[in-house]
Amino acid sequence: MAALNRQLRLRFLLRSLLIQGSWNYRTMQGAGLGFALVPLLRKLYGQDREALNRSVGRHAGFFNAHPYLATVAITALARMEEEGATVDQIERFKGALVSPLGSLGDRLVWARWRPLCVFAALVPFLAGAPWWVSTCLFLILYNAMQMGLRLWGLRLGWREGRDVGRALMSSRLRRLPDRLTIPLAITGGAVLPPLVLAFGGPSGASPIPVIGIALVLAALGYSRPTTARRAVTVGLVAASIILLGLEMTVW
Amino acid sequence: MVARPIVAGPLAGLVIGDPAAGMWAGALLELVSLKQLPIGANRHWDTGPAAVAATVAASMVNPAGTALLVGVGFGAIVGWAGSWSIHAMRHLNARVVASEVGRPMAPRELDSRHLAAMTIDFLRATLLTLTAVLCVLVVTPNMGGAPQSAVTLSYVALLVAAAAALGVVIGTMARGRAVMIAFGVGVLISTITTLWLR
Repeated sequence: MAALNRQLRLRFLLRSLLIQGSWNYRTMQGAGLGFALVPLLRKLYGQDREALNRSVGRHAGFFNAHPYLATVAITALARMEEEGATVDQIERFKGALVSPLGSLGDRLVWARWRPLCVFAALVPFLAGAPWWVSTCLFLILYNAMQMGLRLWGLRLGWREGRDVGRALMSSRLRRLPDRLTIPLAITGGAVLPPLVLAFGGPSGASPIPVIGIALVLAALGYSRPTTARRAVTVGLVAASIILLGLEMTVW
Repeated sequence: MVARPIVAGPLAGLVIGDPAAGMWAGALLELVSLKQLPIGANRHWDTGPAAVAATVAASMVNPAGTALLVGVGFGAIVGWAGSWSIHAMRHLNARVVASEVGRPMAPRELDSRHLAAMTIDFLRATLLTLTAVLCVLVVTPNMGGAPQSAVTLSYVALLVAAAAALGVVIGTMARGRAVMIAFGVGVLISTITTLWLR
């Protein structure tokens, strides 16, 4: 197996950043996957236009995965193409990767890492740090994981090829979402007191009882997330419309 | 990631000269929208235009408490409208890049169709943001000051919304006794630290 050369790796990485660009209800990320694979397909089938077009068309069919872990699929498919795998093998492999890559990425990034980064960034701002500290902290923390996953995926997919599913199952990354659960909850809890001081301060209320009330509200949100989210959104919109109406007519 | 409210809010605020107001609007909008996960074909708020609209609205109304409440409420409406525009764009994208699935396609054709879809997304988000900002400018011109009671009530409403939204995020992402204990530990450590720092 030849090593994935630096230029090709860079092109895969850059094109993988745009993989969601044409997301649609028919092929989902399919066109994005084809777009990401184009540099390798050009290299492999450069002389044979018909085979190249057939291969590009095939790869632009249905595919969906977590966008940051899609690099695993990109390089694993690239390696299979280079090894001369059959169309049937490639299509079955693509179909088999959709669920594990989607599930792992969704649990790790959307359900753990993103909220954790948001909470970690909000605490210093609510405690009085300048706005840019929080914005930069969020961007650095979040993108460290995002770029790390993409680069890890590029290496893993190319190294393991069609065995990438087994490598994913045994990787330490699979256990990371569970390990991030407690840090997420602690950081989420840490947001509440400075939030109370920020909004409770102007009303002149004593902080300790207000923190207690806020804790009860958070518990309500925790126990009934769907209902509470709807109530929060509708309440905010209704309150802002009433306020606007009063500002325009009465005050 | 520029589209996250915690980034888009302060950036919009920087443009109009009040990044801190943008950060407040962005932080609240972030808490309210964090529960929405972009999984599969899930329809989720378009948080970038929402944060920009919230920031502009928050900087147009006086005083600060009512401004923030109006801004976040407005941002929620824009985010929701944005989710429908994304839904329509996904249907349009199916025509642009997936009209004949599996058909042989030249690499250049796939590249240009993919880039065309991205251009459509850029135009959609720009149009949504401009429309939202225009609505803010029309609805909230030179608003006067609200009475102190309204400001206090606004802060109370924001606190209720933010605390409940925080619980919603934790309840959606992770559940169980250990999670509740860890959340309580976070509250305790943060309370002691915050009060001590005061």
